[in-house]
Amino acid sequence: MSHPTSLDELIEALRCLPGVGPKSAQRMAYHLLQRDPRGAERLSRAVGHALATLRRCSRCNTFTEEEVCERCASPKRDPSLLCVVEMPIDLNAMEQTHAYGGLYYVLMGRLSPLDGIGPKELDFDRLLARVGDGAVKEVIIATNFTNEGEATAHYLSELFHARGLKVSRIARGIPAGGELEYSDAGTVAQALIERRDY
Amino acid sequence: MSGRKRVDGQRAYVLHAHPYSESSLVVEAWTRDHGRLALVAKGARRPMSALRGRLMAFQALEMGWFGGGEVKTLARADWQGTPAGLRGRGLLVGYYLNELLLKLLPREDPHPRLFDAYAEALAGLAALVPEAALLRRFEKSLLQELGYGLTLDREADTGRPVDPAATYLYVIERGPLRMVEGDEAGDAVAGRTLLDLAAGTLEDPRSLAESRALMRRLLAHYLGGQALQSRRVFMDLQEF
Ligand SMILES: [Zn+2]
Repeated sequence: MSHPTSLDELIEALRCLPGVGPKSAQRMAYHLLQRDPRGAERLSRAVGHALATLRRCSRCNTFTEEEVCERCASPKRDPSLLCVVEMPIDLNAMEQTHAYGGLYYVLMGRLSPLDGIGPKELDFDRLLARVGDGAVKEVIIATNFTNEGEATAHYLSELFHARGLKVSRIARGIPAGGELEYSDAGTVAQALIERRDY
Repeated sequence: MSGRKRVDGQRAYVLHAHPYSESSLVVEAWTRDHGRLALVAKGARRPMSALRGRLMAFQALEMGWFGGGEVKTLARADWQGTPAGLRGRGLLVGYYLNELLLKLLPREDPHPRLFDAYAEALAGLAALVPEAALLRRFEKSLLQELGYGLTLDREADTGRPVDPAATYLYVIERGPLRMVEGDEAGDAVAGRTLLDLAAGTLEDPRSLAESRALMRRLLAHYLGGQALQSRRVFMDLQEF
């Protein structure tokens, strides 16, 4: 069955969303046009507006409407501490702890050699310029404890050490309030390997 | 056809995984006795999924699955033995091994000996064994196991044992031929190198360097022009 061109274009455009195949894209398109034209209008405006106004913060690399985002501009934050995370969602997780008062840098990804994501795709140059601003003394690497996150942490730590920075990595182990009995074997094994003096 | 075929208790590794839907992953698994398989890990992307943490590349696993189609359904995956323990550079080398397997190993074609060679290579990487010799040994096993008829210790034309003191030209799909005047010197390889590679004892620096070039040429041929992403990323990392 062939669709009018503009409908085809909409379906094709929706497929850029992660996990959306041709079938779901078609379902979404019909839903927007038939059931929720006002929602469609709003979506279209929001996408256009976001694209026109959002850019990357020149300090932390997250999306912001300013040159420097509110967090990076805040005088309450300690500029000598920089925490590197993979994604904005990880930054949110760190903020929820209320245990960190430094600044952030968001990589917007991780090294993923099988998908062709390397230091150029992640713009390591930009991060290296950021840590070299003279104010940063310690970098905390908070990439995930996946293979990709670990590979990223390893290469970043080498680059930071070479620039004379103090480097640390967030610790991992049994979750707070966690019991060994209910923990995954891998978690318990890592906690054992990375045990410390007590 | 047995559409609901069930298999359990299989030694396996995850070679790669990618999102399949909001909550599931498709895992490219490599199993010892059933070869490379695509398995849907249902619910593996949910926040509290125990599966998610277990389906890590390089980790020895025991898996069970069912289904008869091209994509099967993962029933379980449990860690086997100690944590993989690959770190830093070792992880990058590991990704290179996985990419070779993903690109060269056909689906559902078991190669238990190659599987064991892979397990051994991973153990070597975790133990920080020098990676160059380890890589060449694995590449050799890969090409031999996949039936690319790698002849290293006999001359292709005469069938005589390779002379360690002679210089050879390795002709893909045929084997070593003694160098004669006018041959491309760039592809020359010492008899010693061929014998060292055949025996898997790569300590001599010249043997190591020449077998690296030879393997690279052979792999490029069998990859048929497909670029290795992991190699490119590795090179990019060396530049920083
Ligand atoms: Zn910022």
